[in-house]
Amino acid sequence: MKLKVASKILGANDRLAEENRRIFTENNVYVINLMSSPGAGKTSLLESTIKALNGNLRIGVIEGDITGTDDAARIDRLGVPVVQINTGGACHLDANMIYETLGDLDLKGLDLLFIENVGNLVCPAEFKVGEDLKVMILSLTEGHDKPLKYPLMFQESAALLINKTDLKPYLDVDVEKIRKDALSLNPATKIFEVSCKTGQGIDDWTGWLRTLIS
Amino acid sequence: MHEVSIAEGLLATAVNECKKSGYGRIEKVSIKIGKASGVMPEALLFAFDAMKSDTIAGAAVLDIEEVPLAGTCLTCKKDFETEESYLLCCPHCDSSSFKIISGRELDITELEVF
Repeated sequence: MKLKVASKILGANDRLAEENRRIFTENNVYVINLMSSPGAGKTSLLESTIKALNGNLRIGVIEGDITGTDDAARIDRLGVPVVQINTGGACHLDANMIYETLGDLDLKGLDLLFIENVGNLVCPAEFKVGEDLKVMILSLTEGHDKPLKYPLMFQESAALLINKTDLKPYLDVDVEKIRKDALSLNPATKIFEVSCKTGQGIDDWTGWLRTLIS
Repeated sequence: MHEVSIAEGLLATAVNECKKSGYGRIEKVSIKIGKASGVMPEALLFAFDAMKSDTIAGAAVLDIEEVPLAGTCLTCKKDFETEESYLLCCPHCDSSSFKIISGRELDITELEVF
């Protein structure tokens, strides 16, 4: 017989993401899902952000990588709580992976939790993990054609950080085009130009973060 | 790229719906995939066939209906539909202010069960 159903294929992930969200809200933790391609500077941005905000906000990090613990070790050196997830090949984090780590974090002791997704400009944008906001980084070395080539992540992200601005003099990259295309994909997106190397723009970014959490 | 995860979610949802209704075998799974969902039908079919074998959907056929990207422009107020996967501006007036109505679907619509 034919059985009519109206189910979201990712319904199970969405429901678990809602459950994560409920747990985060209950514990008063603001959660940011940080996405970018590999090497754009997610961990460097977290290091800069933690240094800038430490003392003002209690920050924790969940690191997502296919394999290895290098990123978690970098965060651990800054003295903030960090949990490493190894996806074992999966190209993104999903709600269940986050749910499984929640017991390893003292959520009551945190104001802000960063979930550093697997480096990938495509898949992480498709899976909710229970975050309040999605934020993405595009580094200048990736080129100005990326918003139009990988539109979904730009559409899904509440903020876009354009990183490695210190390299601008050496690159044929059109930052205005990145801004224009990103805004046409998502008129509400907030854009920050930063350099994790020199610290340029980090204050604007962390200032904005503080307005979200206060 | 993540069609395996999608197939996993699809199988879990279909098996759950089938059992919930008191049936034990799935012959066909009908789904709607939006053109702007980022999912490639061929890759999803491959992943579905690879993963279904040890489930009650072991012999099931996956029927995919693709849904075009459609929306309404907030500037010129006209409706539009396109075969593109992504849209940057209204095809009528070039405004970038528009609302997507369909094209992001990832839905199961019907199961044939026994």
